[in-house]
Amino acid sequence: MCMELQLGLALPSDPLIIPIKMFDLNSCGYEPGEGLGSNTLSRPLLKLGPSDININNSSSSSPSRSGGSRKRGFDEVQRFDENRIFPKTLPLLLSTNQPNDEHDPNGLEDNSSSAIFKNDGEGLVGWPPVKTWRKKLLLQIPKGGAVNNNRVAAMAENGCRGRASNSTYVKVKMEGIAIARKIDLSVHHSFETLTSTLMGLFDISDENWKGFKLTYQDIEGDWLLAEDVPWRTFIRSSKCLKLIRSRG
Amino acid sequence: MQKKMAYSFPDEVLEHVFSFIQSDKDRNAVSMVCKSWYDIERWCRRKIFVGNCYAVNPRIVIRRFPEVRSIELKGKPHFADFNLVPDGWGGYVFPWILEMARAYPWLEEIRLKRMVVTDESLELIAKSFKNFKVLVLFSCEGFSTDGLAAIAASCKNLRELDLRDSEVDDLSGHWLSHFPETYTSLVSLNISCLGSDEVSFSALERLVGRCPNLRTLLLNRAVPLDKIANILRRAPQLVEFGTGTYTAELRPDVFSYLAGAFSSCKELRSLSGFWEAVPAYIPAIYSVCSRLTSLNLSFATIQNPDLIKLVSLCPSLQRLLVLDYIEDSGLEALASSCKDLQELRVFPSDPFGVEPNVSLTEQGLVAISWGCPKLESVLYFCRQMSNAALVTIAQNRPNLTRFRLCIIDPKTVDYLTHEPLDVGFGAIVEHCKDLRRLSLSGLLTDRVFDYIGTYAKKLEMLSVAFAGDSDLGLHHVLSGCESLRKLEIRDCPFGDKALLANAAKLETMRSLWMSSCSVSFGACKLLGQKMPRLNVEVIDERGHPDSRPESCPVDKLYIYRSVAGPRVDMPPFVWTKDEDSSLRLS
Repeated sequence: MCMELQLGLALPSDPLIIPIKMFDLNSCGYEPGEGLGSNTLSRPLLKLGPSDININNSSSSSPSRSGGSRKRGFDEVQRFDENRIFPKTLPLLLSTNQPNDEHDPNGLEDNSSSAIFKNDGEGLVGWPPVKTWRKKLLLQIPKGGAVNNNRVAAMAENGCRGRASNSTYVKVKMEGIAIARKIDLSVHHSFETLTSTLMGLFDISDENWKGFKLTYQDIEGDWLLAEDVPWRTFIRSSKCLKLIRSRG
Repeated sequence: MQKKMAYSFPDEVLEHVFSFIQSDKDRNAVSMVCKSWYDIERWCRRKIFVGNCYAVNPRIVIRRFPEVRSIELKGKPHFADFNLVPDGWGGYVFPWILEMARAYPWLEEIRLKRMVVTDESLELIAKSFKNFKVLVLFSCEGFSTDGLAAIAASCKNLRELDLRDSEVDDLSGHWLSHFPETYTSLVSLNISCLGSDEVSFSALERLVGRCPNLRTLLLNRAVPLDKIANILRRAPQLVEFGTGTYTAELRPDVFSYLAGAFSSCKELRSLSGFWEAVPAYIPAIYSVCSRLTSLNLSFATIQNPDLIKLVSLCPSLQRLLVLDYIEDSGLEALASSCKDLQELRVFPSDPFGVEPNVSLTEQGLVAISWGCPKLESVLYFCRQMSNAALVTIAQNRPNLTRFRLCIIDPKTVDYLTHEPLDVGFGAIVEHCKDLRRLSLSGLLTDRVFDYIGTYAKKLEMLSVAFAGDSDLGLHHVLSGCESLRKLEIRDCPFGDKALLANAAKLETMRSLWMSSCSVSFGACKLLGQKMPRLNVEVIDERGHPDSRPESCPVDKLYIYRSVAGPRVDMPPFVWTKDEDSSLRLS
């Protein structure tokens, strides 16, 4: 797509006078003279609908990447797979089965302005705009009954991002590394597979792995050693993982 | 001629004069008068504020200002508070600490907001700055109580340690014991964000007892109610106090001991904490209520009528943070008893519930606008709103400077007329001529942005979500809001055209955030190429943007002006104009 644009590059000292060479609103139905008293604004200039965007399908979406594997900052599953079917929708509308759905667990199914958004289930990421730690504490307030532990576990916690309660992604931190990763616990059924995934993620060899211990934070906020509990207990209650160096 | 005038005032005299000029804006103006004033001013500037840590780099700052004593840095964009910025995006303070350790051995104050702070950074601070006095870590993360232990152990002159809203790996409560017994200079301690259940109470009590200048003490939830009285009795001079968990079985002896402790604090003006507060112990604070100017009940589980009774006893209140348990009736009571109220924040007790759990509507806010003449700052979560209510609020309170309204369901219409809320917000910007900060919600068309662009001439920060119809909306804001510094947008149908047409405007602002909008990677690259003093960051965790069609919208976009050039610490999911997929380093 070729965009021959002459940008209005006015001097910063005069921010109001920005010559709009390429984007002449006057030519597109906007009447500057229309005061605010008018009840109807002119037709919106650009209504982005599906027809405006080229929807790609899987066959043409495979990128020609050079340079072998690319190390991602986080979860390996996020790596773009050439064989993965590219969703036939705008990327904003990824279905909830995609691992990328953490941005939008319910999917903004209709991005057009006429859609009235219904806030069902656990809602969007970051909405309503309540700070993470505040959300966590609010959810622990008993509301006429027992605390809803699932929601507490699912919603924002100390260090864990808010997510829908059916998502099984947890944050993994390694001691000494500032950047956390994320993994999908639901693809694992034993500590063995989890261990090998973690070793791959953080580039830890077999020998070095012995110098680490896997800990996890449970629903109540306590940090526990993974090796002390059976897999089923671990998988049900862990919200965050942390690899710590075993001392002594 | 010029030279003569410069020599007529020796540098020392000018320096002395400049020392009375504290505000950054004024200092910047002073430095632009002439070259010699620039030189004198830069040698005597002691306090630096960097609103975006990537707008400049440490070397540039140090080169210009060699004698800094106090620095404030902000890192991640505001929407990081709501999990919209992926982990690992950036905002690392370590490079700054490293350079400042060399250049500013006399640094006294470090204030950070939304930055990643490691234990290594804290340890470096502890050993590099001999006269270190103030550490404020506002919404920071990446460190543990081990780092705090290093600060406690080494900073003999520490006055202020404020960890507000930070995410701390709370490994143990023993870091407090690292304050040596000889240490007595603490003035302000805020550990309210610490989660651990382990707090060394004896260490805390001893620390409080030996610091006679302690004015601010905000405890964390680990401190139970029955420990408060002992702490207060050791610090009756406290001005600002935050309780821990404020719940216990009602016992008359505990109650009266606590009430007595509160009443002996004659200087107490601000209270907060109150996690899981039970009504039975609220009367313990009644003796201080008449003097209270600030009250934060936003974690208190108490409801009406206890809540109404409490706020009615605080006629001097200037600032109130509260949950929507206060309901319309409580706000009406507040409106009639608290005539000095300047700031009100009402948070949702059940933000994810589908049905309202409390009777809090627009009426409460309208009542406040009638009754509180000094009201200037509002943050209000509710589930219904009308244009009529907004117009009333605007007409009643033209002195509003900060107005943030969050109607919990996106795109909610005026419940009376079923129309968009354009007219209501239009009235806000039209009447409140000094409005600096505005957050919108509800169903809004391009029209509201037309109003904002026309009237909101002093607006510095605008937050927009699920609003607008087309690029026209964004264009109105970028072309009309002269004072705009920060613009953050999510889930709006704004695309390339308005952005590119207003490219120059972006250099006059601190930053622009757009997520889940309709901006293409092509436009981002173009913008980055044409505007070398803007950093255009595409944050997209789905892989290289070129692996999607050119017109496919980017996930998140963060644009900010910078004199430091592209940053060197970008994670793999941030893409800039220099992207060439074949050259992308791991």
